[in-house]
This record gives sequence, C-alpha cells and structure tokens, in this order.
Amino acid sequence: MKRIEVKLAVPVVAPLLDVIRALGETPPVAAPGVIVPPDADPDLRGAWLGELAAAEATEVRALLALFDEVFFREGIVAFDAENAEMILRACSVLRLRLRESYLRAWGDDALESGDVEAGPFEPGGHKAMACFLFLATVQELILQHLGDNILAN
Amino acid sequence: MPGAVSGGKTQVLPEEAQRVATVGRWRVVVLNDPVNLMSYVVLVFRKVLGFDESTARRKMLEVHEQGRSVVWTGLREKAEAYAFTLQEWHLSAVVEADEAH
Repeated sequence: MKRIEVKLAVPVVAPLLDVIRALGETPPVAAPGVIVPPDADPDLRGAWLGELAAAEATEVRALLALFDEVFFREGIVAFDAENAEMILRACSVLRLRLRESYLRAWGDDALESGDVEAGPFEPGGHKAMACFLFLATVQELILQHLGDNILAN
Repeated sequence: MPGAVSGGKTQVLPEEAQRVATVGRWRVVVLNDPVNLMSYVVLVFRKVLGFDESTARRKMLEVHEQGRSVVWTGLREKAEAYAFTLQEWHLSAVVEADEAH
C-alpha cells in the first residue's frame, strides 16, 4: 500500500490542533454550503443534514487521530490509501468552518488567491489563517501523492 | 439516505406531481466557493461523477469563472443522490428543475 510520511514541526503544528479541536467540538450541524433540495419533506431534510453532520464528525476525528503520541514524539504523520479520502474531506470541511468562524473579513478573492500576507484578522485570526493554509498543504500532499489511489478505491 | 425521495415513507402524490418527480428532468449544479482547491474539485468530479480529467477540469473552471456549472441532468432521485454525495465532499451542490424539459 502506498504511504507517505510527513515530518512536521511539532511546536508549529501543535497550536493549530487546538483550533481544529475547537472547530470539531462545535455542534454537529451541516457545513456551510449544504443546501437541501427544494420542497424536500421533513424526513428527507433530517436524514440529509444528519448524515452529513455525522460524516463530518467522523472525518474530523480521523484527522485528529493522526496527531497522536508518535506525532508529538517524532513529528511524523502518515497518509495512505486507507485514510487519504477521509483526511482530504476533513481538511475541506475544516477550511470551510475556518472561513465561517474567523476569516470572513478577508473576502473571497483573498482566500481564493491565497494572497493572505496581511489583513483584517479577527481575534484568533492569525492562528486560524495558519490552520487554513496548513490544511490546504495537507490536501495538496494527498492529492499529489495519493489522488490516484482515491480515484481507484 | 438522501436519494430515497420519500425518506422511507410512502407518499401519495397528485398525478401531475408524480409525473414531474419521476419523469421531469433535474439538474445538479455546483456553486463556486473560495475555499476548496481547484485540484480537489477536479478529483471530486472525477470520483463522484466519473468525469475524465479533461471534462473535470473544464467543469471546475466553469464553476470557478462563472460561479456555477451544471454537472449532471436526469431524474430527480438520482440528481439528489449526486448532490448529496458532492456535499459529502463539501462542495456546494444544489438540485434544480431543468426548465428546458
């Protein structure tokens, strides 16, 4: 099985995990952007939102599980064909939540272009932006090295 | 599970509503967001919709440049299933009636 190991600086990443944990502990509601079809009946609406929220919680738990004792001892996290899809999705939903919670003042163009050297940070915004960029880097690594595995699964 | 339109309950619909729900055509539309990476969106389109690389890139650019792209058209139940799966991947996907049909 293809596997990539990434060496990270623990003192840099550890504070970002606090942000991720806090986001993961927010009430399990569907992420921004979720739109249930028009005229959906209440049962469908409930199932739709409930299943998405449950899946998101699972994804975030999988991401946080990467940062275990081994990570804090050696600074290494590993991605493989088994966890790649889940981690990729976790990064996506967390980035959406970061935008909603901390990065609204940036505007869409700045977030989309990645031109975020300086800006109107809200309280906690610097750490949130670092987290936003860190999660994008994780996604890029997975897409580059394990994208074919995800497509094949 | 979204895609099962009645949510597990049998509903009696007026005849015209039944016809529209089962025969009418519906579109799955993906909306732009400033968060998801372009390469991520391409992968999702390939994975969920079975697009080849070039179609996936073209559709991703439509989303990026025009704000939206119709990625699938067909019966409502299947459209809802696709929209749900795209939302599982955290893309903004909506289902719309295809007014042209």
